[in-house]
Amino acid sequence: MPKLPSRITLIAAGFVAAALAVVARAAYVQLYQGSYWRTRAAEQQTTLVSLPARRGALFDRNGVPLALSQETFGVGVAPKQVRDRALVADRLAGVLGRPREEMRHLLAGDKVWNEWPGPFQWTQVAPLKGLRGVYLSRRLERYYPKLDFGARIVGRVDPRGRGASGLERALDSLLAGHAGAAVMLRDRNGRTYPSPSRPVAEPQPGADVTLTIDADLQEIAERALAEAVRQTRAQGGDVVILQPATGEVLALATVRTGARGAGLVGDAFEPGSTAKVFTAATLLRDGKARATDTVFAENGSYRIGDRVIHDVHPSGLLTLADVIRVSSNIGIAKFGSRLSNVELFEGFRDFGFGTATGVDLPAESPGRLRSPRGWTDVSAASIAMGYEVAVTPLQLAAAYAALADGGLLLEPQLVREVRSADGAVLSRAAPRPVRRAVPPEVASQVVHMMVGVVEEGTAKRAALGTYNLAGKTGTAKQNVGGHYLEGHYWASFVGLFPAEDPQLVLVVKIDDPQGAYFGGTTAAPVVRTILEAAIATPAVALDRARLTRRRAPDTVPDDAPAPPAAEGSAPVVVAWPPPRGAPDSAASPPHAVPDVAGQGLRAAARILHRGGFEVRVEGWGRAVSTTPAAGVLARPGSTVVVHAEQRDAP
Amino acid sequence: MARREWLVGWESRLLILITAILVAFGLASIYSASSTLIEKGRVVGTTLVLDQLLGALAGGLLLLLAARIDLERVKALAWPIVLVTGGMLLLLVLPFTHAIAPRINGSRRWLQLGVSVQVSEIAKLAIIIWTAMLCAKKGTEVRRLRRGLLPVLTVVAPLALLLIIQPDLSSALEIGLLAMVVLFAAGARIGHFILLGVLATPVVWQRIEDAQYQLLRMTTFLDPGADRLGAGYQVDQSLIGLGAGKLFGVGFGQGQQKLGFLPYPYSDFIFGTIGEEWGFLGVVFLTVLYTLFVLVALRLARAAGDPFRQYLAAGLTVMIGVDAFTHMGVGLGILPTTGLVLPFVSYGRSSLVVALIATGLLINVGTRRRAKVA
Repeated sequence: MPKLPSRITLIAAGFVAAALAVVARAAYVQLYQGSYWRTRAAEQQTTLVSLPARRGALFDRNGVPLALSQETFGVGVAPKQVRDRALVADRLAGVLGRPREEMRHLLAGDKVWNEWPGPFQWTQVAPLKGLRGVYLSRRLERYYPKLDFGARIVGRVDPRGRGASGLERALDSLLAGHAGAAVMLRDRNGRTYPSPSRPVAEPQPGADVTLTIDADLQEIAERALAEAVRQTRAQGGDVVILQPATGEVLALATVRTGARGAGLVGDAFEPGSTAKVFTAATLLRDGKARATDTVFAENGSYRIGDRVIHDVHPSGLLTLADVIRVSSNIGIAKFGSRLSNVELFEGFRDFGFGTATGVDLPAESPGRLRSPRGWTDVSAASIAMGYEVAVTPLQLAAAYAALADGGLLLEPQLVREVRSADGAVLSRAAPRPVRRAVPPEVASQVVHMMVGVVEEGTAKRAALGTYNLAGKTGTAKQNVGGHYLEGHYWASFVGLFPAEDPQLVLVVKIDDPQGAYFGGTTAAPVVRTILEAAIATPAVALDRARLTRRRAPDTVPDDAPAPPAAEGSAPVVVAWPPPRGAPDSAASPPHAVPDVAGQGLRAAARILHRGGFEVRVEGWGRAVSTTPAAGVLARPGSTVVVHAEQRDAP
Repeated sequence: MARREWLVGWESRLLILITAILVAFGLASIYSASSTLIEKGRVVGTTLVLDQLLGALAGGLLLLLAARIDLERVKALAWPIVLVTGGMLLLLVLPFTHAIAPRINGSRRWLQLGVSVQVSEIAKLAIIIWTAMLCAKKGTEVRRLRRGLLPVLTVVAPLALLLIIQPDLSSALEIGLLAMVVLFAAGARIGHFILLGVLATPVVWQRIEDAQYQLLRMTTFLDPGADRLGAGYQVDQSLIGLGAGKLFGVGFGQGQQKLGFLPYPYSDFIFGTIGEEWGFLGVVFLTVLYTLFVLVALRLARAAGDPFRQYLAAGLTVMIGVDAFTHMGVGLGILPTTGLVLPFVSYGRSSLVVALIATGLLINVGTRRRAKVA
């Protein structure tokens, strides 16, 4: 067999060739193309998982939660992977609150995947953890504990969890935090496995934001406004409550019956008479008039150029203070003519008109204040009366707050404090002065004029029995697209409470009230309702020590009804807290304790306060009974104990 | 009584060493590739590797047995061996034997005889022994068509046909190839093989066209990237694994292609798993081991005294070498996907045991026995 060795050698050569081919090919694939394949491998083997960050919470100024993010869970079951069907069916039935039989049937069925999106709390789904074939999906969900509360201000989040409206949107960058990311290993079926060797970016939870809003006051404002809009059959309305010393917004309520209107800060309106005080302030600041200067008010009808202006209450000689008090158009136009166009413009501008306030709300309108170059012959007179100028309720409140705070214009603020998730204070609001609009003495003079408005002027319906209130009414024809609409008005009232050293600036604006449309009859009572409730609510941020109670009133407000009125009627003035030790208090006859059973505690307290009683509450929830019982005669000033449903603290 | 002196040469020792390394490496690789797998709802864990260890122990005993058995008796048993193998293959295709020959993954390859046996692995061994026996008997007559190729074909063809019916085309082709290699080593004319190749092409092609899945396997190697989720998927995944391994690999146990991307990461595509975890160095390591094994075994064949031993050794060497390099070629995308396992390394007790027996026989061939007079 001479050829045989050579044949085996041939076979060996063949294998050596094969080995070289394998090595060469491997070198090509693994060394030359290696990076390409490794990229391909990473593409299919790993997946970037976003780790959602907890969204920061929103609190009111007293720590009442307005928006919270909670971890919730959805439950998914893959019946084919379940081993212990009886156990899983039992636990599922418990968690989902479904019959056990149904669950058994489901697990035995053909469906590959069943899902219950929940949301379930962790304590609910905890028994399902670790069961084969049961999958819990974690979500972060946004909750609004006070559901209807301030929805327009707080806003809402979109389905992706980002702020869609209101403060949720404005503060989104603070609240959202930063989502983390983890590289997970992934198998062909999409199952993911944590990878110890790959980087993980921990999610950074969003900051918690404490607002300047006072939840109690907000709720009071919203109720009062809604009631007023309903009673006046108006299109809508807005309420802004500011703290003048700090510029902090305590309440922002808005009601729109139709789809029209952007609300609070997006809608500018012509303020009319509520802007007259700024004309007066400018006159005083520039030394063009004193409060005691007089003009002749032409008995109600006065021609400027081709326009005739009228006064609702025709007058003769009026001082500047009288002009504000009776809200004389003719008077303010005549006084205003002492100012040059530029002086008037600068006066208004210095109060912040025509400039967005910079508050943390989306879509804020700057209002409208044209520069004097664009003015017509009658523009100055119009602006002096509050026409041809448009403001948002918030701008108006900020401008009044400047008067209330000695002439210093502050930027309105909605954010009181920002804390990181671990509690560190990231920022704390401090008053942010914009500019000095008028000197302090001018400011106090103007505020003093406004006391007259409430005492004996156009806003007597806003007067409180016990405290002095300064204010100004406004009733302006609605201007839509440059045309004034007959019979459609913006009624407004701005109140400064209390008149001495004001702690609250309240702007109430009613859109197109039907019937009696004057600011004094529609908007002013809302301020009184709000203030009554606010004073009766201990939690509301008022420095009660600084409230100087009004001494014996000089004159009883002519339309202030003295006897307690039934709940549900138009807001009425009550002296509250009842002037203890006041001469008439001891003398006033005892009367029946009203029946408050079934009422909410706040409503119950309000009713009892109106009756002149001191109130002490035991428990919480709804009122059940009182001591003394309803109908029993009790002396005003005596204490009525309200017993509520729940006896123990929550 | 004559006592025998066993002279185990360095070649045999080297073969045993290589075999041991490969089996150990295989056990580690199977564990890495299968421990995280989930099959039938449960994690495989150590199930496969313990199975394989059992096979390795049994195979090791059989290796020792094969190394010491008298090869003349094996030669004498060649006909019974091939007939029994034929009978077992027949059992696999008979319609009423599903109880012991179930259909798994679309073909009937395993005979359940207490342990599950992949008959095609035994058939490879049987056909080598038988062909070696025949060639040794015919001597130089194998150069004649009617005394060499035709008698071999009359036995190989029915066996191959039974394998095709399973269906298991690659095993059928392989036993044909092994018989031809033995015949080639025995000195048959090159012309016969060319003739056979020309004759076989249409038959094979016809068969391929019938079995659609085989066709896909045959054609996907031409352009692995073309059809990622279809037939090219397996090759693509294998290349991703190997390529991602680069020079040093991603590390033992760290490979991820086994997480459902690579089909049969512990058997048919264990080379992809190894290439991913050990990189180019691992591939070179395996290639060197198999090449050494083949060269050393062929050296034994060349040095063997009688024709039967020579042909047997050549056939067994080629069996292991062809399996190994075909498996690697498939994994590297240069050969069509065949489903061949990597000898000694891949999971599969039948193939492991057969490979160990073959190693034992090779050692047997390389062992001289000198009769010592007591």
